[in-house]
Amino acid sequence: MRIAKAAGFAWTSDIIGASVFAWGAASALEAQLQGTAGIAAGAALMLLGGLLRLASQYGAQVIGFDAGRALARLRRGELFPRLLAIAGPSAPALGATATLGIDHVAAEQARAARFDPVRKSATLAPVLVVLVVALQSRVAALILFLTLIPFVIGMILAGGAARQAADRQMAAITALSALYVDRIRHLPIIRHFAAEDRIARQAGGAAQDVAERTIAVLRAAFLSSAVLEFFAALSVALVAVYCGFSLLGLLPFTPPEQLDYRAAFFVLVMAPEFYLPMRRLAAAYHEKQLGEAAEKALEEVPEPVPRPAASSQVALRDVVVAWPGHRIGPISFELGARGLVCVTGPTGSGKTSLLAAIAGQVAPSEGMLATLPAEAIAWAGQVPLLLPTTLDDNLLLGRPDAAATDVAEAARAVGLDALLARRADGLATAIDHHGAWLSGGERRRLGLARALIADRALLLADEPTADLDTASAERIIALLVAEAQKRAVIVATHDERLAAAADQVIAL
Amino acid sequence: MLGFVAAFAAGVGGLVLLALSGWFLTAAALAGASGAMAIAGFNYLIPSAAIRGLAVVRTAARYGERLWSHEAALHALAGLRSTLFARLAHAEGRSAPDLASGDASARLIGDIAALEDLVVRRPGIPAAFGTMLIGLGAVALAGWLAALLLVAVLALLLTALAALPPRLSAAPAAEAAEATARLRRMLVDYAAARNEIITYGLADRVTALLVAEADRLDDAQRKLARIEAASSGLLILASALAAATTLLSSAASPPLTALAMLAATASIEAVAAIARSSAREAAVAEGTERLRVLLALPAPQSEPTVAAAPATLGLDTADFAPGSRIALTGASGSGKTQVIEALAGLRAPAHSLTLGGTAVAALPGAAICQQVALAPQEPMLIAGTVADNLRLARPGIDTAAMEQALRTAQLWERIQRMPQGLDTMLGEDGGILSGGERKRLSLARALLADRPWLLLDEPTEGLDSATEAALVAALRAWLDARGAGLLIASHRPVPLALAQAQVPVERVAPAAG
Repeated sequence: MRIAKAAGFAWTSDIIGASVFAWGAASALEAQLQGTAGIAAGAALMLLGGLLRLASQYGAQVIGFDAGRALARLRRGELFPRLLAIAGPSAPALGATATLGIDHVAAEQARAARFDPVRKSATLAPVLVVLVVALQSRVAALILFLTLIPFVIGMILAGGAARQAADRQMAAITALSALYVDRIRHLPIIRHFAAEDRIARQAGGAAQDVAERTIAVLRAAFLSSAVLEFFAALSVALVAVYCGFSLLGLLPFTPPEQLDYRAAFFVLVMAPEFYLPMRRLAAAYHEKQLGEAAEKALEEVPEPVPRPAASSQVALRDVVVAWPGHRIGPISFELGARGLVCVTGPTGSGKTSLLAAIAGQVAPSEGMLATLPAEAIAWAGQVPLLLPTTLDDNLLLGRPDAAATDVAEAARAVGLDALLARRADGLATAIDHHGAWLSGGERRRLGLARALIADRALLLADEPTADLDTASAERIIALLVAEAQKRAVIVATHDERLAAAADQVIAL
Repeated sequence: MLGFVAAFAAGVGGLVLLALSGWFLTAAALAGASGAMAIAGFNYLIPSAAIRGLAVVRTAARYGERLWSHEAALHALAGLRSTLFARLAHAEGRSAPDLASGDASARLIGDIAALEDLVVRRPGIPAAFGTMLIGLGAVALAGWLAALLLVAVLALLLTALAALPPRLSAAPAAEAAEATARLRRMLVDYAAARNEIITYGLADRVTALLVAEADRLDDAQRKLARIEAASSGLLILASALAAATTLLSSAASPPLTALAMLAATASIEAVAAIARSSAREAAVAEGTERLRVLLALPAPQSEPTVAAAPATLGLDTADFAPGSRIALTGASGSGKTQVIEALAGLRAPAHSLTLGGTAVAALPGAAICQQVALAPQEPMLIAGTVADNLRLARPGIDTAAMEQALRTAQLWERIQRMPQGLDTMLGEDGGILSGGERKRLSLARALLADRPWLLLDEPTEGLDSATEAALVAALRAWLDARGAGLLIASHRPVPLALAQAQVPVERVAPAAG
């Protein structure tokens, strides 16, 4: 990606401003030392250097943000459809969906914005510093370069251990957090058994334990930053001592160059810049860790299941839908072009998952399942989808070209006509994704009306009578019975009146 | 304290290293230019040794600072975690902050982690101020005017950084928080309607809506990133400015001027640490406030737990003596679970319920818990081993008691077959167990609590009839042996046969008021 490279170059260009500043400072001090004019010119160069560094650092951070944003946009574009296209028990839960789609993408974004550009400049910028320094003093450049060798060895020795230690620390803290989340979620049952003190002691012990272990781990982790600090300080000290002795003419060897004061001071001010990019890299390491963990979590989002081969009718033979800890079935039934099938069972028994399997959205783990092609299925959900557009558009999601008379007819059939009459704009009334002014029952009716307007051969309805008063529920039951004369209808419900009206009842 | 000393030593070490190097270089140049006499008279051993020594001191101090500040922060935060948890655990269950959703508890963890970062940085702030002052002292060697100008630059910089970023970022920060909340709600709402999105092929359309909202979030965050970038740019410019003013206004010899100039840049660097900390502090302010609210919960008071005498159980007008076996009947959704959870102290009662003649709503949570043991409809298992879950019931449970309870719950053979037996890790919410097995583990836990009343909500849901019959028989034997009372809610005839009396839930009147 070009923009990611640009951010790396922007960080590297910081060296230009640093060089201008160092040259200005060296010139001004030399002028003062020799009592010549040029102090003001040097000071002006210093300020120019400061301005250039401001521009580089500002630019690098803003371009870095844009690089992160470009990556996040790419991720969202492929992640969101995937998160929405997996149904049933293997799909991430609602809260987890939000965590994946927001927090994990943000962690990857932060890594691309802060860590990746700095990493690029950590290889380029030190080379540039050595080159700039070499223009004034080849020996000082050699000194900087030579400190790099023990530094690299030190980093290989301490850095590998530190990286492992940092990763282990993060794993330990993640585990501790998971323990706390679990215990806090289960506080009601902990209080019920009067186990507050015992669990609090256990949780507190775990926290202290992790703190102790983390400190042990940090000793190793900080060793690598100590190596970095040491060579950063050592390179400054060695350059200072070399330049000082060179100016005094006291070097124990004959230098290959004649160093003047300006060159010496320039080299001294540039020396800390040599290790600065690597220090920036170390500071952004946490972003790298979080970004990698997030990337892994995003890779684990399951792929949507392939659709079963299309058939002309619904037929299940010994179908089992299973996921860790749960198992529905075996279930067998057939439904022709017409008829009403009710799937019943208590909450959490897997009615919606079975419906999703019949819709071809969840793969059964055992048995044979035949169903209609996707275009022949309509679904009226428990919490129907609402897009932030008009009521009319929402009703037309299943068949955008439906006739206005069909829409009005369906709205009347599900009992939305009273609601429409109350609204000045009728079908043109705007709604938001949350359905702010719709009750749960009204949302459900809207979902059912949409499924009717879609006019498909198979109608699946999930708890169509929940949240409705007796009269409304009976109206919906009558409607479903009438629809079952025209098409195949499968309903998940725990409403006994609805089950009583069915041609077949599948109890889970 | 150690953290502060080390941070201070590291900051000053860095400052002196650079400043002394500048002085040494300039003095060496002067001496070098003045001929052999001057060179002979120039003491180069002490400064050059000091420079090398400072490199070591600075490294060691920085290492110590990191380690000590993290050590202090980690212990402080571990303490905070325990305190917070104890406060939350001891809060009255029916009125405590609701943290049952994974989201709320995860946010709590996030708040604590953000605070940890803040505590780690804390000793750095006074140390940075100290370094700044030392730098100012070094600049004063170049004359009072240089020092005054540095004070002016520092004051200007600190005021600008304290005033501008918070003011400029307030609006985009609020915008970003709002956009995040909106995006979260949208994702949750749309994920709840997945089946319809797949059915009608709307994934692309919904994605476009979500991406548009995410774009608004990114726009706000880009503004924040620009403010942060401008602040760090301002620091680097101020550093150049301070160096230039020091140089121009210096009244001292060239070596001292060089020293002062480099000290001035180092003292601005110290300001950068302060600015980063205060930016961080502002970023986590909301989370810190949330934690403060929780810490304001009353401290737990340890009350001596006395084994309570079995109390009578009142369902509306009907009173049941200890040891009675009652079935609560009614269609699903009619409120059986509500009655049972209210009797267990898990929720505020909506029905007229009494224990020992006192309304359940008026009893403290602890008093309720001494009377009843619940095996809830949702098994409510904690992450940990089988034994961890069983030990929750009461202190001092041994392996033999666990085995006996698991045998009654018809789960012993299954647990025994597991490679680690009672020490098998279950994972979140019972992880590796099936739905029916989780319920039976939850039942075994309730049996181990050994309370006067056993509350069972659909205990045999999802069991085959042979296991169900065995479980009910074992349960009957257990009740006979202990003389404990039973309140059971079930649709199924076999467990309902345990009861001597049936109470339709519709007959239990709603609580007055």
